[in-house]
Amino acid sequence: MNRREFLQCAAILMSGATASQLGFTLNEEQTVYLASAPNYNTNPVDYFSDGQRKIVAAMSEVIIPRTDTPGAIDAGVPAYIELMVANWFNDGERVIFNAGLADIESRIPVQYGKPFNQLSAQQQLEIMEALEEAESDSPWYEFGNVLREFISDAPFICQFKELTVWGFFTSQEGATQVLRYDPMPMYFDGDTALTPQDSSWSTFL
Amino acid sequence: MIDSKELDFDAIVVGSGISGGWAAKELTEKGLKVLVLERGKPMEAGSGYLGEHAPNWKLPFQGKKPRELYETQYPVQSKVTHSFNEATRQFWNNDMENPYAMDEGKPFLWARSDVVGGRSLIWGRQTYRLSEQDFEANATDGHGIPWPVGYKDIAPWYSYVEKFAGINGKKEGLPQLPDSEFQKPMPWFAIEETIHERLKKKAPDVTLTNGRVAILTEDLPGRKACHYCGPCARGCSTGSYFSSQSSTLPAAQATGNLTLRANSVVDRLEYDSESGKVSRVHVIDAETKERLSFTAKIFFLCASTVGSTQILLNSASEDFPDGLANSSGVLGRFMMDHTLGLSGVGLFLDNMDSYYHGNRPTGLYIPRFRNLEGQDDDLDFVRGYGYQTVTLRTDWQTNYNSKGFGASFKDSLRKPGPWIFALAGFTECLPRESNRMYLSKDKVDRYGIPQVVFDFEWSENEINLRKDATKQADRLLKAAGAVLAIGGDDKMSTPGEGIHEMGTARMGADPGESVLNAYNQTHDVPNLFVTDGSFMTSASCVNPSLTYMAFTARACDYAVKQIAEGRL
Repeated sequence: MNRREFLQCAAILMSGATASQLGFTLNEEQTVYLASAPNYNTNPVDYFSDGQRKIVAAMSEVIIPRTDTPGAIDAGVPAYIELMVANWFNDGERVIFNAGLADIESRIPVQYGKPFNQLSAQQQLEIMEALEEAESDSPWYEFGNVLREFISDAPFICQFKELTVWGFFTSQEGATQVLRYDPMPMYFDGDTALTPQDSSWSTFL
Repeated sequence: MIDSKELDFDAIVVGSGISGGWAAKELTEKGLKVLVLERGKPMEAGSGYLGEHAPNWKLPFQGKKPRELYETQYPVQSKVTHSFNEATRQFWNNDMENPYAMDEGKPFLWARSDVVGGRSLIWGRQTYRLSEQDFEANATDGHGIPWPVGYKDIAPWYSYVEKFAGINGKKEGLPQLPDSEFQKPMPWFAIEETIHERLKKKAPDVTLTNGRVAILTEDLPGRKACHYCGPCARGCSTGSYFSSQSSTLPAAQATGNLTLRANSVVDRLEYDSESGKVSRVHVIDAETKERLSFTAKIFFLCASTVGSTQILLNSASEDFPDGLANSSGVLGRFMMDHTLGLSGVGLFLDNMDSYYHGNRPTGLYIPRFRNLEGQDDDLDFVRGYGYQTVTLRTDWQTNYNSKGFGASFKDSLRKPGPWIFALAGFTECLPRESNRMYLSKDKVDRYGIPQVVFDFEWSENEINLRKDATKQADRLLKAAGAVLAIGGDDKMSTPGEGIHEMGTARMGADPGESVLNAYNQTHDVPNLFVTDGSFMTSASCVNPSLTYMAFTARACDYAVKQIAEGRL
């Protein structure tokens, strides 16, 4: 959407009748106006080797698998992790991540005879659970320890999990197909029915 | 863009934020030719809001904040508010380009915007009237000097600005928090109704009411009722919340009497000894560094408390060696800010089958309930505090550090968890001479203007207020039925963090101890008015912007009448 289209759209909003009277809601294309950049996780990045990419994808899918809704791979989480490690992590965080990934890369084929991504779902889960168990007393897991940007000395498995969960629920697929997304709710109702199967709203960060 | 340096205006307004926008509207509507000077960058309402409605997956790093950029370029602005992110950064100051100084060991966070519209674009939109008790507080307990204005003087002006700004809230009839002219209130969460019923029984000394906010629930001319998208601080192209951009500047523009010049850094005002008035404002163009000057009959400083005070201090002359209009010597002193912070967080398991539609852009409010009938015997502080509340349903953002893997982990993260209802205390700050700002003798900014230095510390009264707010929050959360109440830690906010800095050119009846008279006119220089937070003689505990609007409109009315009577 270009500037002219935006201004037309704004003109409708500003002209007389209320948006609800017009049955007017912004469609998705119109609501991304100046953030009309490509989805973040489609940006180019070349930090991992091909082998590492396969491991990272498989690990993220163990955390958030495809069910009747998209999983981590469907939602571009592997690319998000690679982008974040390459461009957002500081040097110290990168050292921890690289060492953790190198450990999976070298140790698993020795122990299991195959790289992580070629193991059975049960074996992959076993490895991930062991990683989490080994770090289970990390402060990263403390209740409510989420109101911060990042814990720089968090162990590899915690780094990995944070990027996976964050990258998933802020992705287009995670926000719109797993959570519920409505960027233009038009009214507020503080008491609507919630069934045990309903998802949270995806809210603007 | 103005190309002549010889243009003459009836009035010059410095700043285009909440106060400047109102001054521009009122003066132009009364027929004056007005020049508004704004140090920030030009920005168009609506089309200039780059982050508005951008979904999380379009944001850089999908919303994780670029830490290195913030630490190196925005170390103050990124700390001073949680709403600072890649969708709002365009509105804020780059700290490296706009340095200021602090006294050793006395941190001060100075939030500054850098666009036309100023902090009206990024304010919290909370709007509360000061009460009769607030206007009498100094006279009653002896801190500071008495206000020269009473509640009944300003009440009609509150009504006047409220009808235009568009405030929603609920009438309560409380003496300590007078009702505004309200649009219909925003609805509540079911959990809030539950909490309200319990508080009525178990804590009848407090009132739980709507947060009163300058956000429309009913259309006004050119502005639409809120569409509940959530993050107001990204800007609002439907003009649903009050900002200069959405409201006052368009009204001023419509008169044909407004000239707005962005990128205009005011260096100083020139005082003319012969006439006894300000004759000229000296400006530096932020882009070209060209020096310009403009003349007018009257001058309104609305550059924010610190900005306006800096201009006055930097306008020292032979007649006013300590700063323009500073014969009293109080200019820059008696600075106040509100302390704020989480006083308590409660976890609730009620109303678990109730959810919501839309993102309500405010919490509720608990008005002041301490020291209401004079001084309470058992309290070790004067004055009081109010709580802004936050209601939220926990979700993946509050639980992403959980243990587990696979389909069940995914399922638990996608679903809502318990409710959180939290209380954030906003406490009054006493006016103290030692809390001050002044100009550095050796540090200048990129325009050669002396840097501002802050020297500000909380006093025992603010510390005791904050402690009481934490203690009472625990009582209220338990009365409200929280299954878990987590207390605040009594930590004082960093001075400036309230973004309510005020009081450095206070008003008073005695020219010997105040800068401004009851009409925001300087005692020393009749054609000079200051209507931003500088004028505040005391701070109250409520958010102050509405009061700046009302006093600005009143000062404009007074000034124009003075011109008509040939006095200016």
